[in-house]
Amino acid sequence: MVKLEDVSSLLQAPAPSQKVPIRTDSTYKPLHSFALDKQRSYKQQYGDMYFLRLAKIKPAVEEVASKAWDGTEIGGELAKRVDRVLDVRQGELCWVAGTVYMDMRLKPNILEDVSKDRWLSAPISSQKYYSDDGSDQIMLEDDSGRVRLVGELLNSIPLVTGCIIAVMGTENTNGEFEVIDLKVPDLAPQPERWALSKAPSASGKSKSEDTDMTDSPSPNGGKKVAIVSGLSFSGTDASYDLELNLLLEYLLGEALGPDEQTSISQISRLIIAGDSISTTATKENDDEDDETKKRAQKKYGYDASAYNPLPSQLFDEFVAELLPSIPITLLPGARDPANASYPQQPIHTAMFPLSRAYASDPGAASTSQPGWFDTVTNPWEAEIEGWRILGTGGQNVDDVFKYVESDDRLGMMEAMCRWRCCAPTAPDTLWSYPFQEDDPFVLKSCPHVYFVGCQPEFATKVIHGPDGQSVRLIAVPSFSKTKEFVLVDTETLEVTKIKIASR
Amino acid sequence: MDDAKKYLSDRLLSEEVPVTYRLLSRVLNIRVNVAKQKLYEFHQSQNASKANSIHATYLIYGSKTEHKQPETGDTDMDNSVPEPEPLSDYAPTKTVTIVAEENLKDALAEYEEVTSFHIYSLAPFPQRDLALLSDVSKSLSEYRKIEDAAKTLDTYGIIANPQARRKDRKGRPPIPAPAPSTSAPKNVKQEAPPTLSKPSQPEKVKQEVKEVSSAEATPSSSAGKKPPATLKRGASGGIMQSFAKAAAKPPKPKPEPKPKEEDTSMALSDDGEADDEDLPTSKSIDLEALKRTRKQREEELMRMMEDADDDIKEAKKEDEQSDEEMEEASEAEPEPEPEPEQQSKEEKEPAEVISNSGDGRRRGKRRVMKKKRILDDQGYMVTIQEAAWESFSEDEAPPPAATKPTPASTPAASSTQKSKKAAPGKSASQGSIMSFFAKK
Repeated sequence: MVKLEDVSSLLQAPAPSQKVPIRTDSTYKPLHSFALDKQRSYKQQYGDMYFLRLAKIKPAVEEVASKAWDGTEIGGELAKRVDRVLDVRQGELCWVAGTVYMDMRLKPNILEDVSKDRWLSAPISSQKYYSDDGSDQIMLEDDSGRVRLVGELLNSIPLVTGCIIAVMGTENTNGEFEVIDLKVPDLAPQPERWALSKAPSASGKSKSEDTDMTDSPSPNGGKKVAIVSGLSFSGTDASYDLELNLLLEYLLGEALGPDEQTSISQISRLIIAGDSISTTATKENDDEDDETKKRAQKKYGYDASAYNPLPSQLFDEFVAELLPSIPITLLPGARDPANASYPQQPIHTAMFPLSRAYASDPGAASTSQPGWFDTVTNPWEAEIEGWRILGTGGQNVDDVFKYVESDDRLGMMEAMCRWRCCAPTAPDTLWSYPFQEDDPFVLKSCPHVYFVGCQPEFATKVIHGPDGQSVRLIAVPSFSKTKEFVLVDTETLEVTKIKIASR
Repeated sequence: MDDAKKYLSDRLLSEEVPVTYRLLSRVLNIRVNVAKQKLYEFHQSQNASKANSIHATYLIYGSKTEHKQPETGDTDMDNSVPEPEPLSDYAPTKTVTIVAEENLKDALAEYEEVTSFHIYSLAPFPQRDLALLSDVSKSLSEYRKIEDAAKTLDTYGIIANPQARRKDRKGRPPIPAPAPSTSAPKNVKQEAPPTLSKPSQPEKVKQEVKEVSSAEATPSSSAGKKPPATLKRGASGGIMQSFAKAAAKPPKPKPEPKPKEEDTSMALSDDGEADDEDLPTSKSIDLEALKRTRKQREEELMRMMEDADDDIKEAKKEDEQSDEEMEEASEAEPEPEPEPEQQSKEEKEPAEVISNSGDGRRRGKRRVMKKKRILDDQGYMVTIQEAAWESFSEDEAPPPAATKPTPASTPAASSTQKSKKAAPGKSASQGSIMSFFAKK
């Protein structure tokens, strides 16, 4: 409860000769884990992805399982390990590892499409694949075969296609596997902080100099990284223009008083996690005048007149205004002009005629320095201030969300970490590149921070692994809907939510 | 000080439009914090002399009272479904609120702690719709300076970043921003000397000049040139020919309509291509390569079309051939019918061997360019042209000059006339790319 009298003193600005704060530098090393070859071919089969994933994660889950189940006796019978799903014998207590496959009525199925002589799946009408009538089946498969899983336990543990688990139980007379216990690979080994980049002792000093200089050590003085998603710059919807402006002013340190400006100067980087450009508004327009237009001039191919350049223009201006002051990392999202399939490749800098002066030179790619304006892949991995950061534009969580009953987005993020796979539903329901040699979605190392953009609301949580790993999970809300963004303290990994309101 | 007062009273009291601190800082080249202060002073002094003459909006920053904190504060606005809170750890929330003077007390009451509080804007009327303020910020773009970005930051008191770096971009042309708004990066571009080293650049110039030349060409005698030219670009045969010719020609530095007019009569058929090919003046090094790739593309296109209406074309070719022969006799007048096929024939014709011209028919063999499709070692399909002999007889050809527009004595008049006729006729019969698709 603040009264006007209490704060009116703040209206009196201090001496105007105040020094402008200097933004702290950002130690930043993007990892190109999800970059695809430009000359890539799409001819491969997807089956290899499952094989690779199983091959990579199975040892981990088997280790966990054998630790837990070795010597387990149930009803006088010793649980023994079975190598392949097909080797499970009826009535024998055993455990086996494999890939989960969810057979769901509401899930799009390519075989069904083919058998019905359709070649494209119908647009997904339902928000969820999950149906609560019990018709969904959970299978466990490996390269040998597939067995259906049943049991009470499965109702309490959410599973999706593509995750690797180990189950213990017996095969019943129906040929189904009754699950008694279930294990996931759990968190991957976590690298130390500053594993890849050097801790900048010099910059640490300069940072303390900064705080000395401004002689007002802000209460939360550590360096920060701002994460925002769903900016949804739109050519037609101006309802949150004011908030976008305030966001800009906030990040530039124009808004607010001198003390706050100093603490804002500690924000060393802005990460834009998907959906920067809104396309919905133009679609609505299309519905109206497309009919008439199409009849009027039936052109072949792409009709350039239907393209509205305004959203990307506005976004470019926004980014260009921020760039002199703060480095930006840009992840594509579901609605951004990048490829639709995971992993999305960086948005081409040609989209940013103003901002691209700050982007890295495409000719000098993969050289020492990442671009000041870094357009990256989605998912994306980097080391920022020594912390391993994994971020996505949100499609992976949105897709897992369809499989499970709950709305617990953090729970899904946690599950992905524990499954060691950041996009388990690729390539089943999440469009994906058909990987041949490597499944990059497998988490070889556990990140310190895992953020997911374009989520319905803000949420954060820290999860812990068996070997002392801890992961900060952040669901970053869509700015256009919630007017919120996130600050992560890069010393403590504490998260602050910033909300912009108008009334 | 006086500047600020003068500007504010001008803008607020005379023009009656709102002013934000950012606008004031841009206009007067002062730091934003100073601008906020000026707004405050002006607000105080004006309302002291005349109460409620100026209305302010404020920006409040701080943390709101905790009991409102657990997400309900947001959810009651955007999401009526109460989320189970314990899923998420507690995270402190800071709220930036922009609020009109009238609601200030209510807004402040929601806060537990306010760390920053200042005037955001002034307006001569009570501000109900704060969204209007975003229009003010749009006008800010005018004040973005064509200067060094770092300097701008300092002028306005924006957090500076000494590490900011741009890529070393030599020879990028200034990118024409669609909106008047410019910002730092663009300035750099403008400073950079525009050279033509980038492939994108010549294309752009080309396009521009194409537009220019076609626009300027219309009133002149070359009026007839434009429609055939554009058609030709889409159509098949002539393009390669003209490429070859255009390449052979010395590149014109500035393809104004004038030079074209000079050689209308002789070079008409290339003109459309000349637009394409002459312009990238400094590009001559990779002209060869460019030509080749484009050639391939055109051939691809051509093949596609020929597959479809091969027969039509064949007939047409014969037709034009005879046209052409007639015309060549009386070639003095400018011929504004630079049919693509005509050019390809020009090459074929010299290699014609007439074996039998008795009974009024000509029979014989002629050299034609045949296309061959092969797979190259990289697995790409490549179409190459080879000279081959093909027998023909004249009776395949329809009566010659029937469709030809009568050549008028005044070149200007006739050319416009004919071009009008020629363009639609051609597009119907022999297939610009548009007509090809329209037919299907």
